[in-house]
Amino acid sequence: MFGKLSLLFEEFLIFIALLLLMLFFGLMTENFFTLGTLRTISTQLPALTVVTIGMTLVLISGGIDLSVGSIVALSSGVIGIAFTVFELPLPVAAILGILAGGCAGLINGFLGSYLRLPVFIVTLGMLEAGRGMAYLVTDSQTVYIGASIQALSLPISGIGVSASFLISLGLVVLAQYVLTRTVYGRYLIAIGTNEQAAKISGIRTEPYLMWVLVMSGLLAGLGGLMNAAYLGASDPNAATGLELSAIAAAVIGGTSLMGGRGSIVGAFIGVLIISVLQNGLAQMGVSEPVKRLITGLVIILAVLIDRWRGRQV
Amino acid sequence: MTARITIKGLNKSFATPVLKQLALQVAPGSIHGLVGENGAGKSTLINIICGLLAADSASLTLDGRAYHPTSRTDSLAEGLALASQELSLIETLSIEENILLSSFPQNAVSIDRRAVRQQAKVLMEIVGLRNIPPQTQLAHLSLAEKQLVELAKALSMPADRIKLLILDEPTSALTSSQADQVHKIIKQRAKSGLSVIYVSHRLDDVLCVCDTVSVLRDGVIQLTAASNSLTSNDLIREMSGEELLQHSGDEPRETGDLRLGIEQLSSADFPEPISLQCHAREIIGIAGLAGAGRSELLHAIYGLAADRQGRVVLNRSGANVLIDSANTAAKNGMALIAEDRKSQGIFSGKSISFNTTVAGLGKLSGNLGAIIPKREQRVSEELISRLKVKCEGTLQSIDRLSGGNQQKVLIARWLQSESDVWLLDEPTRGVDAGSKFAIHEQLRKLRDQGATMIIVSSELEELTALCDRILVLSNKKAVAIFKRGQWSKEKLLAAAFSEHKGERALAG
Ligand SMILES: Nc1ncnc2c1ncn2[C@@H]1O[C@H](COP(=O)(O)OP(=O)(O)OP(=O)(O)O)[C@@H](O)[C@H]1O
Ligand SMILES: [Mg+2]
Repeated sequence: MFGKLSLLFEEFLIFIALLLLMLFFGLMTENFFTLGTLRTISTQLPALTVVTIGMTLVLISGGIDLSVGSIVALSSGVIGIAFTVFELPLPVAAILGILAGGCAGLINGFLGSYLRLPVFIVTLGMLEAGRGMAYLVTDSQTVYIGASIQALSLPISGIGVSASFLISLGLVVLAQYVLTRTVYGRYLIAIGTNEQAAKISGIRTEPYLMWVLVMSGLLAGLGGLMNAAYLGASDPNAATGLELSAIAAAVIGGTSLMGGRGSIVGAFIGVLIISVLQNGLAQMGVSEPVKRLITGLVIILAVLIDRWRGRQV
Repeated sequence: MTARITIKGLNKSFATPVLKQLALQVAPGSIHGLVGENGAGKSTLINIICGLLAADSASLTLDGRAYHPTSRTDSLAEGLALASQELSLIETLSIEENILLSSFPQNAVSIDRRAVRQQAKVLMEIVGLRNIPPQTQLAHLSLAEKQLVELAKALSMPADRIKLLILDEPTSALTSSQADQVHKIIKQRAKSGLSVIYVSHRLDDVLCVCDTVSVLRDGVIQLTAASNSLTSNDLIREMSGEELLQHSGDEPRETGDLRLGIEQLSSADFPEPISLQCHAREIIGIAGLAGAGRSELLHAIYGLAADRQGRVVLNRSGANVLIDSANTAAKNGMALIAEDRKSQGIFSGKSISFNTTVAGLGKLSGNLGAIIPKREQRVSEELISRLKVKCEGTLQSIDRLSGGNQQKVLIARWLQSESDVWLLDEPTRGVDAGSKFAIHEQLRKLRDQGATMIIVSSELEELTALCDRILVLSNKKAVAIFKRGQWSKEKLLAAAFSEHKGERALAG
């Protein structure tokens, strides 16, 4: 009676929260509802969105991926070097970058599932190692790529949003479908809820736990491409702390850190809430420290509401 | 004499009313049995008495004084000890810490470790947990052992403070000799004035242990009577409101071709190699005392055990499949219903529908692995009504179901997967008499359609009712196998005790 309804309702609730937030900034600032804001948000958003998709899937399976920020930097470094130093065509460079992310995810996944090391620790190690590799690849320099890659993040004329944004939106829909409607998604939820019961039900848990981390790595690799496109360059310092934003977005969207529960659409709304908050506060002229303070409070508030609704967080 | 506890006008509704104007009295020093079908509201009543749930309205008195518990802390202070059905233990703590969790002996600054050890040891001795070190982590125990720890925890309250001991299905995972030990303790305590509320689906036990029995149905107590004036059939009739058709005993039957060949199988937890041949249309029972290795054997067969040696070969329409992991087992139509439903069975927080279909999703999905919601809903609804699961609908969360109904959902999970080799570990634990017969009928039907089953049960009656052969384990060894017609309760028990030399033999 309540299962599906409450999930819908849950996403509905944070959607309302998003609208209220937008209304608030609309009233408080002169030009929040302008194309400029939309543009800023829609160019910054895609990288965080794709990374959050991966993070949400990992959290639902009962794990966590702390290495996504570093993988973003690594991937964008690989793309920059492949394009400028090795002079590969941009699409090839992009694929190499995404694959570099996938490899990092594969290492995470293999160690975490087949060797049964705690995923938290493994990905913590990858957070350091990945960042180190990003520095090595780029020789600790920002690599300028130029206009050719920026096309990805510039608004397409006539639509008003970028190709990056459309891709990330498409991935949100796809991942939500996979999670709620396919056997793969159902198994991820089952494993995250009770791994032992899942095993006895005939679900081979290791491949699922591995692939979800590979997926997260690939998505972070894609995030690296989007990040490079947005900057027009690959910056080895990029996306520091992005993993925390992704976790925050997922949690605001109703994902449980205990595994077994979560929603991609919810997490996407979480991403929107975070960016609206950041941009709105910036337009109001709020200082950086206060911005961070408020963002932190919003995360805690979201979890509080979740708890109040009788959920395990 | 004033009653120990008096309950009047108790009402409680969740989505629908569960308890309606319920009234109940328990006399001092009396062992009061409480029986009713799964979902009748027994655990709900107990949770209200202990302050774990709020009633919509109620008037409770304890020894003549008004009593309004709002939390477990209140009821503990009033001397109510509780062993709950779904165990209130913490898996990551040790046995001794679990037992004394609500009353840690302390010295000036910290927990008094020596006193903890000593008190826990005494309590473990009383409930019959003799051979396990008290510092063992709870997660390593079998379900029966956990149940005894729960009882020891309930008894940890000092004897002069404890007024009412409430036991919600305290013996559902225990063998008959362990249960007898429990019964002995409570009879002894009752003699010195303790009142006990005893909930169980083992009606013969209820009649033998309790002085008075009450039957709960449709939210009210239908009947309260002295137990020596009742038979278990009376109780069943009052519980279900109808006469029950009992299955007449089976004759020896023809079984089919070889289905499952177990060859020299052993594992870390079941070191002695065992061989067994199971046929189509055959039910094999596994009997034995606690710790005889019954669950361990099932896990080894299913491919879950560590350090597994030997071979399990499944014959599937002519082809032989080597079972080397739980995954190949499930893929090839083998089902395992694990004993500990909380940690190995249910997906908590998920719907009934999720829980019933998870092992057979392949059939419910179209191409690309997309699940077809209509099909899923239809299948789970059909199963829920076939097994008479008492619920509000298939999208209700499984946590909201009573214990016995959760068990039925687990059986439904595997009925749905259309398995043809079934390994069942205590399949009717905590299930009421009526539903138990319904489950037995389902199992017989599956057997007649060609299924092979291996059933572990602590209730010999369940095994003798269902099985074609009974394998007896004793101290992790196979000691005897009986065919239908050859066994008797005495023979089965003698075999079960045969390898447990030097341990105190309790008659079963
Ligand atoms: N938290 C809850 N929310 C909604 N319904 C509930 C909840 N807890 C219990 N119920 C319902 O209340 C009824 C009584 O449940 P209860 O657990 O008391 O049964 P019981 O008599 O102990 O059964 P069993 O013998 O299976 O343990 C059931 O129909 C159950 O579905
Ligand atoms: Mg109950």
